[in-house]
Amino acid sequence: MNREKRQGATLASAIGSEWAKLWSVSTSTACLLAGLALTGVFAFYYASIARINAHPLQPLGNAPVSALTLGQFTLLVLAMATVTGEYATGSARASLLWVPVRARLHLAKSAVTAAVAFAAGTGFGAVGLAVAWGPFGGRATFDAAQSATQVLAMGVYCALLAVLAVGVALALRTAAAALSVLVVLVAGLPVMCTGLGGPLLTAVNDLLPQTAGTYFMRGGDTPYPAPVGLLIVLGWAVAAHLAGLVVLRRRDA
Amino acid sequence: MITLRGLTKRYGETVAVDDLTLDVEEGRVTGFLGPNGAGKSTTMRMILGLDHPTAGTALIDGRPYAQLPCPLREVGALLDAKALHPARSARGHLNSQARSNGIPVRRVDEVLEQVGLAKVARKRAGAFSLGMYQRLGIAGALLGDPKVLVLDEPVNGLDPEGVRWVRELVREQAARGRTVFLSSHLMSEMQLTADRLVVIGRGHLLADLPMAELLARSASASVHVRTAEPEELRLLAGKLDDVDVSGETTLVARGTTSAAVGDLAHHIGVRLHELHPVTASLEQAYMELTAQSVEYGTTGEPKAGL
Repeated sequence: MNREKRQGATLASAIGSEWAKLWSVSTSTACLLAGLALTGVFAFYYASIARINAHPLQPLGNAPVSALTLGQFTLLVLAMATVTGEYATGSARASLLWVPVRARLHLAKSAVTAAVAFAAGTGFGAVGLAVAWGPFGGRATFDAAQSATQVLAMGVYCALLAVLAVGVALALRTAAAALSVLVVLVAGLPVMCTGLGGPLLTAVNDLLPQTAGTYFMRGGDTPYPAPVGLLIVLGWAVAAHLAGLVVLRRRDA
Repeated sequence: MITLRGLTKRYGETVAVDDLTLDVEEGRVTGFLGPNGAGKSTTMRMILGLDHPTAGTALIDGRPYAQLPCPLREVGALLDAKALHPARSARGHLNSQARSNGIPVRRVDEVLEQVGLAKVARKRAGAFSLGMYQRLGIAGALLGDPKVLVLDEPVNGLDPEGVRWVRELVREQAARGRTVFLSSHLMSEMQLTADRLVVIGRGHLLADLPMAELLARSASASVHVRTAEPEELRLLAGKLDDVDVSGETTLVARGTTSAAVGDLAHHIGVRLHELHPVTASLEQAYMELTAQSVEYGTTGEPKAGL
């Protein structure tokens, strides 16, 4: 880490700076530990319910995927806070003085939080698998390749959510506004759509990031193949990233 | 060198910075003065690429800030010293900053030592006093050993020793051929620090000239005279344009020099018992300038004093 020579201001150095910033505040570690605990507890809970209610056999990975419905928020907060924390303290200006190329700063933040969220997502998945096996009590199937795919899919989904959160946060700047939008988009709308029901709302729900992400992570074929779910989440992440970039470029810091 | 050409910033109807054209040259300390709300910070933010000008350009060595290949090695800036994450340590903060521009990490320890924060380098910045924040901000400005320094109120919150340290630091930077552009509301300090002054009021350029010239132009620059006899005083006063008779044998003349008054007295045969010039303080000169800001602003003179 101390080997940098006069390499100048590049995307790599911007990423290095964002990485250093992320780990020099304890919020990041706290978010990851909270996410791990939430995913672990709810994977255990999900598996226990499946056993108690004698659900049909299902892949073991479904437990951590379902638990991620809660655990994902810790990663959303982590990613969002890398932006809103800077606007709240005024240090967003410092970041722009260090890396004045807006697209580069934005990309560095997205890359760092996505990498951390990917690692966290797979970590949550692996822990969730281990925790859920016991309480399932034989009501789950374990296939190494399938579980590995699901765990990786969780990592990819979390990485895209981090990109989404950074984009939304850059567009809105305050934690209150960004978190409101993220919670409504990721959790509120799916609950509302499924609660009210009907073909239109079901179709809308299938296009929302969490719903699409769940289809992707569960790896089925209904209502659409898993890769389509991935593309939908990717679309949300790209849209949020571009929205954040437009605001970052246009608005005064 | 910092080059501003027609730099303008409007927020809706309000004009924060109006058509500012000036050069901040290397090798000297240029003070940036103006009342609160005059547009100093907005100007500095535009120089640093944080705010977008409505019109005009702000260039550093010929380029906009955002196009500098390695900005921290070229420009060191201190805007709002308290604008940093309170949970991060001084070292953590500077470390992130160094990495962003590929500056060797050893520079972090060097500047921490230089500003006197080496002992508290691992403390949370949130626990710092205002003076410590300022020192950390200055450390950040010096980190890339830049050719240009842009410092907004760098001595705000510093103790007298700290104020003096900043003065010596910026003087030394200028002596090394660097460009120093700094704002301050402490006039006495500015008088000791700056070589040249840029004064703005309501976004307009009021003055851009050497310190000595600004002080000489002040209405409060005066010549105090005491004559031998009241009769002689009346004689002398009659020959001077702007004069206040302050006693039986004393007067204060303005808009002239002690040499001119002495020559005049000799010429008309008046005996002087006392003759001394009183130079204006920067504070007085500044107050006059900004009080007249509307008048100056509407004459449309491009550069007073040049």
